[in-house]
Amino acid sequence: MNTAFWIISIITVLGAVLAITLRNLVHCLLSLVVCFFGIAAHYFLLRAEFLGVAQILIYIGAVAVLILFAIMLTRHVTGMEGPRELGGKWWMGASTAGIIGVLLWWCVRREVLTAMWPSSEKAQGLVAVIGKALVSEWVVPFEALAVLLTAALVGAVVIALEEVVRKR
Amino acid sequence: METLYQLLISIKTDTPIGRWLGPVPDWWLRAVAIVVPVVLILAVFLTLFAFLTWVERKTLGRIQNRLGPNRVGPIGLFQPIADGLKILLKEDIVPRGADALCHFLAPVLFLTVPLMLFSVLPIGRGLIAVDLNIGILFVFAVGAASVLALFMGGWASRNKFSLLGAMRSMAQIVSYEVPTVLAAVVVLMAVSAAGKHGVGSLSTVSIVEAQAGGWVNVSGWFIFQPWGLVGFILFFIGTLAESARTPFDLPEAESEIVAGYHTEYSGFKFALFQMGEYLVMIAMSGFTVTMFLGGYLGPGVDLPRMGWLLSIFWFFAKLAVMIFIVILARGTWPRVRVDQLMGFAWKMLLPMALVNIVAFGLWFYLGSGPMGWAVSVALLIAAFALLTLGGTSTRLGKRTYRYSS
Repeated sequence: MNTAFWIISIITVLGAVLAITLRNLVHCLLSLVVCFFGIAAHYFLLRAEFLGVAQILIYIGAVAVLILFAIMLTRHVTGMEGPRELGGKWWMGASTAGIIGVLLWWCVRREVLTAMWPSSEKAQGLVAVIGKALVSEWVVPFEALAVLLTAALVGAVVIALEEVVRKR
Repeated sequence: METLYQLLISIKTDTPIGRWLGPVPDWWLRAVAIVVPVVLILAVFLTLFAFLTWVERKTLGRIQNRLGPNRVGPIGLFQPIADGLKILLKEDIVPRGADALCHFLAPVLFLTVPLMLFSVLPIGRGLIAVDLNIGILFVFAVGAASVLALFMGGWASRNKFSLLGAMRSMAQIVSYEVPTVLAAVVVLMAVSAAGKHGVGSLSTVSIVEAQAGGWVNVSGWFIFQPWGLVGFILFFIGTLAESARTPFDLPEAESEIVAGYHTEYSGFKFALFQMGEYLVMIAMSGFTVTMFLGGYLGPGVDLPRMGWLLSIFWFFAKLAVMIFIVILARGTWPRVRVDQLMGFAWKMLLPMALVNIVAFGLWFYLGSGPMGWAVSVALLIAAFALLTLGGTSTRLGKRTYRYSS
């Protein structure tokens, strides 16, 4: 358990570091995917399979692919390496990173480390537990989100349809 | 895996073989229980793949009024072996400008995807490598990750045609994933409706078991309900597109972009891509069978001893039928255009999938009697008619470029 944890952690952190240091944008993205996979592997290690699969589905299947699409629309798709220099506003990025870092550290200290986590034996039927919670305790936000996302999906299709319909 | 481990433990403790073997450590049995399913999956499905290439070439030959492969072995049966040997001996060419690491990793990653899919595919009663409680979600997650392998291959080749193929395959897989997942939602709803106290499950085994019962274990299949038939068609089209088979083989359209994302691949890496494509097709056909055609269920699977063998037979028989339909589609249909591809996914499959979910809801509350049948069939036909007659998705005509003109 501990060995697996360390191996996965090293791969995850390595992926994260490479994602911000490599110069080729597509390589950065692929390293980021390695990092996402590492996080998913951590969830699997904690027997939170649902969370792990959701991580793969959302972060790799959607977010990474979205970034890829964005890269494809730029000239970086050829794999050209961009300049590696600090822009004039580097201090803005640094201060943002600093604030987020402090906030995260504070949250972890205050909440995560002191929380009472269920043991992995109890979390066996995790999907069923999540499912039940979603349709009982959290039913209103869940349904609201579902309606919102479906509306967004249908709306996108309607926007795509629009011009053709007008022409007819 | 778990069942096999328990079986090995009981052999060790309760039988003379166990006493004869002496004190075997438990982790050793655990390792055997992991390795055996992996080896079985590799052996069964890779053999199936090799045989499938022969079947496909033979069928396509017949469709095109040829004989197909007929030189190596009786009726060309050893052709896959000859092909394999040839491709192993070929030179592995990496283009000078290629990104060597990504170029190497892409086919390997691409082949990993279907092999992971097989791990949650129940091929007989109690025959599944890992019965994950998130089975079907795992399938979609792994399938979504396959896009990246294709992109890596196409991008790392530094070839325009490869990149075009990679971009096409990404756009195609991402678009068709939405209706495919929504078509699968109906199955999960049906599983939870069939379960005790409305408790559903995402496990592939429970999806199969929810279709048990009825007339000789056949009438319970989801395909025999109105929403199941529509879901089956939607899911089947979606899997055709996701495994890039005709009529959705745009990522490797040979008349347009040479060979798409694997243009710059040769030798065994090319073979890995081909193998991956065929295995994805087998796996997705397998999941179509699992979700809509009753998986391993069929007449006689409840018999005490024969039942187990019959369940394996029924699964592979259905799988063969599904794969044959895919091959027939390749032999008889032309390729769609890119704009038709996208329009079909977003303006036809997606609305149908959403309507299908509503149809199942009505079916569930009205009961599976004549009332439920009438209402859900009427709703589905009305939606289909509206989309095809009044809509624009299937209209052929001059292609419009919205954002470039």
